[in-house]
Amino acid sequence: MSEEIKMLFFCGLLAFMLGLYLLISHRNLIRIILGVEILSKGITLILLAAGQARGAIPFIQSLVVTFIIVETVLAAVMLGLIVLVYRTHGSLDIKLLSKLKG
Amino acid sequence: MILWISLALFMTFLMMIVLFRDLLYSAIALALASVTLSVVLFLFKANIAAVFELSVCAGLITVLFVSTISLTKNSDQKTESRVPAAFLPFVLVLLLALDLGLTVWLAREMLPAGQSGSAATFKEVFWTIRATDIWGQVSLVLVGVFGILAIFRVAPGRKNHE
Repeated sequence: MSEEIKMLFFCGLLAFMLGLYLLISHRNLIRIILGVEILSKGITLILLAAGQARGAIPFIQSLVVTFIIVETVLAAVMLGLIVLVYRTHGSLDIKLLSKLKG
Repeated sequence: MILWISLALFMTFLMMIVLFRDLLYSAIALALASVTLSVVLFLFKANIAAVFELSVCAGLITVLFVSTISLTKNSDQKTESRVPAAFLPFVLVLLLALDLGLTVWLAREMLPAGQSGSAATFKEVFWTIRATDIWGQVSLVLVGVFGILAIFRVAPGRKNHE
């Protein structure tokens, strides 16, 4: 495996972990979605590294395009929900969402 | 050389997203990270994925984030972190060590087989081999559209909470 691919894997995994850290360490809903976005950037890099290592860039490209569409729809729906939560509760702190418990 | 600079910039922008306290700056850093990621995709000849990344992730998603931040700008952002700021360097060192270990393991165990990809072009893969994906993507976009419509739908005769 070439140095370039190793570096792609390294950066992709680091981005994935940073996203995971943001996801579990913050209570603000917008920051949580930012964490999901960072996580997805890491996955894109890992996919690219795997495609380059296997010599299957066209195949990986189609996966990345699909992944970007999934990511966009997820972000749009989640951000819409965040606006709704803000209008209902007046805050973006997930602690306040404990009211949703049955 | 351009690859290393792009990857270094990409990681810097990601760190900026984590470290900035202002959400608007974080959203702009996310857009810049998307731009550098699209440069990386271009360098590996994944041109169509790069265009998607540049237009959709750096453009559309940033607009969505900035709109949401401006719609919720009166929200409190002070007591948001669960981890004290003093622990952040330790967390970063831990993540780096874990990352290094995983990369070494991946390099040794996962990908020793070498090239095994087919010679198909993107057009063949996207429109023929993975044609079912297109239906999935179309339905996903529709789910997104109807989801947003359902979220912002106001029942007749009922006022909004605001």
